Amino acid sequence: MKYSVRLLVLLVVGAAAVAFSAIMNPGGTSTAIVVITMGVALGELMVLRPPHRLPIPLSYAFMLVLVRGADPLVCVGAIALAELAVLPLREGEWSARATVGAHRLFAGIAALAAYHGVMAVDALSPTPRLLTALGVAGIAALVVHEAVAFLREPRWPEIGGADLALVASGMLMAIGFRGVQPHESVGLWSVGLFSIPLLAAWYSFERLALISKTSEQTIEALSVVPELAGLAPAGHAARVAELSVRVGGELGLRRRELEDLRAAALLHHLGHLCLDAPETRDTPIEPAEVADKGAEILRQTDLAAAGDLLATDDARVGSQILRAVSAFDDLRTRDLDVAAAMDALYSGPGFVYDARVIEALDLVVASASTD
Amino acid sequence: MSDQRESRTTVYCVGLALAATALGVALGVRGPLPALTPLLALSLLHVFAENQITDLTPELGSSAGVMLCTAAIVVFRADQSALGVLLVGAAGGLYLPHLVHRDWRKLLFNCAQFALVAVASAGVFWAIVGSGKASPGLLLLAAIPTALIYSIGNVVLVSMVVVLATGQRFREVLLVGSKEYFVFYPFALLGVFLGLLYLDYELALVPLFLVPLIVARQAYSSYLALKRSHEATVRILVGALEAKDPYTAGHAERVAEYAQYIGLELGIPPTRLERLRLAALMHDVGKLVVPNHLLNKPGKLTAEEFDVVRKHEDVSVEILTRIDFLAPVAPSATSEAAQFSPIADDRGQPVEPHIVAVADAYDAMTSTRSYRRALSQDIAFAELRKNSGRQFHPRVVDALIAALRRRGEVHGAGYELYVHHVSAPSGHLGSAGLGDLLPEGGADDDQDSAVRS
Repeated sequence: MKYSVRLLVLLVVGAAAVAFSAIMNPGGTSTAIVVITMGVALGELMVLRPPHRLPIPLSYAFMLVLVRGADPLVCVGAIALAELAVLPLREGEWSARATVGAHRLFAGIAALAAYHGVMAVDALSPTPRLLTALGVAGIAALVVHEAVAFLREPRWPEIGGADLALVASGMLMAIGFRGVQPHESVGLWSVGLFSIPLLAAWYSFERLALISKTSEQTIEALSVVPELAGLAPAGHAARVAELSVRVGGELGLRRRELEDLRAAALLHHLGHLCLDAPETRDTPIEPAEVADKGAEILRQTDLAAAGDLLATDDARVGSQILRAVSAFDDLRTRDLDVAAAMDALYSGPGFVYDARVIEALDLVVASASTD
Repeated sequence: MSDQRESRTTVYCVGLALAATALGVALGVRGPLPALTPLLALSLLHVFAENQITDLTPELGSSAGVMLCTAAIVVFRADQSALGVLLVGAAGGLYLPHLVHRDWRKLLFNCAQFALVAVASAGVFWAIVGSGKASPGLLLLAAIPTALIYSIGNVVLVSMVVVLATGQRFREVLLVGSKEYFVFYPFALLGVFLGLLYLDYELALVPLFLVPLIVARQAYSSYLALKRSHEATVRILVGALEAKDPYTAGHAERVAEYAQYIGLELGIPPTRLERLRLAALMHDVGKLVVPNHLLNKPGKLTAEEFDVVRKHEDVSVEILTRIDFLAPVAPSATSEAAQFSPIADDRGQPVEPHIVAVADAYDAMTSTRSYRRALSQDIAFAELRKNSGRQFHPRVVDALIAALRRRGEVHGAGYELYVHHVSAPSGHLGSAGLGDLLPEGGADDDQDSAVRS
């Protein structure tokens, strides 16, 4: 189902639920709770996707409104209902969908518990206490959100603007929704209006994610051109890129360096396309010539850092990795098995391939074959 | 700008600034003075918003202005201090680049414009709700006519200065300017909230309010930066790669430009325009797999060579298909999909392949190729028109010709940017850089005559 259709389905179902509630219980508070529940469900489909960060659904902001605005049992029930409603609209296996839903419900419960925990402390005056409680509740939801990924791979999440925007908007909605005595509340208006900045952030992150993906895919697509032209074995660029990044990770390169390495690996045959065909030249085309031509082209673009890695006079680890891995893949495509290919690299003259790089490559290749 | 226009513009700006100052003095003398903390806080926010956001998209910058002015109107409502609103409004004109370049006229104009519009809006808002107790619902309702007055005031004052500075007609400027004001209304409502929050909680909640806006702004500016960088990278890569064929240097970039002209003329929305430009830039990327000696072969190709060359379209499609964003318009790279058929119902079919086909053919005709010299623009137009409704989509052909005429651009023989010192044969329209199939029994006669005449 198309994304826009899924959103529409949810909106229609939600509107029906709101209308039903308004007719059954006119003037009651339940209608507002139904509206916010719909917000939670919609928020499950609208996800902030900041770069290098686990995607975070907007639903957490609406959960904060329920945490503050509804009785604890109603709050849990509403979140569970929203998760159930959105289940058919998620993508993937049903078991995976159910797991995600349960995970979100658990995050909501954590927020609820944290909120009431702080509110039980009498030491603070009302407004600071409320702000603290809501802030802590938001953080609790995000901690549970991260927990699964963290248990799988213990790595600190790169908390950034998206997290702040989500929690701040949720807090504002929650405060506006019910107000703090003696100030009056503005009710659902606050939920609708404070979601505008959040939606603006969502839209911006979506655009950013789309252009990042397009940019990556463009490099990947261009990497295939030399292969389609018969200048490199099929799949060579993709394999070299994948292996280079793993070797780079093994050698402790940072993310930025790994990104450059990947781009350089994908495009390391591109220069070949710009060289004259062999039949019109006196000398055969040398690999070094291809690499330097590629470097020359990439250096004119924002991929200059990747271009530097291609240059034959570059001695940094990234270049060393690229050369060794490319040679390894060449040997493998000549029907050598892994051991024979590694042997050939080890026995090569010492100044051709960096010994540390060969060792790291050996480790990575060995771990891949045991997987 | 002529001297007369220059001096008229200056008089207008200074006059506006004097009016705003006089109003400010009158309000200060006769009306209540504003409380200092909200005045400073909201003014600083307004300066911040204008400087942070205006450099991205001007419309968003002004919408932050609407929000902060409405907030000031709500905050200063109780004691009806119009001076407070005026000063918060004026703060929005303090745009750093203008200060740095000492562009006093723009500074004066912006400060005065924002100040006057803010006071006018406050008048409307206070007339509706008064200064006593009012429910949030009423305040929100009152924000709508307030935003209307704000946008009318803003568009009239800004249009006037554009008319004075450029000599355009007032009506034209007004129409262009008034399109983007719908976004003002939600921001005016947000402004009411910001004001209420300030009244209830003072500064405590203002940071919470700003964080999502700043985050959205940062993400949007990263997006714009990456978009520019990506397009530049593709342009340079494609340019460097097509340089192996001296006859098509700059071809992709020109096709992308013509495609953009056509897209704008046909009113294609921004995201699709972006896609169109990228697809046009990459439409010939498959040609990289064609051996040089075939690309550069003067004269016609044999049927066998032609098959090899034709295969490049499949490669282009394969490459475009690998990029999700471009996949829907991947047929842009084939000549079959771009073929306009008057019988087939093309509703629901993307128009992009037709646009790229026309842009491609136009550039092929107006630049020198290995098989013939550049044709003149008139011949290219005539050829496009002749095949309009047959080979080419009629609306697309009309759009290209209209766009080029309006821009006063001339291409083709005598106007080429890249001059080839080669003895390319004249004659033959060719098929977009691919050379013609060796004629069997002299086909294409009418095309030749069109060129020779």
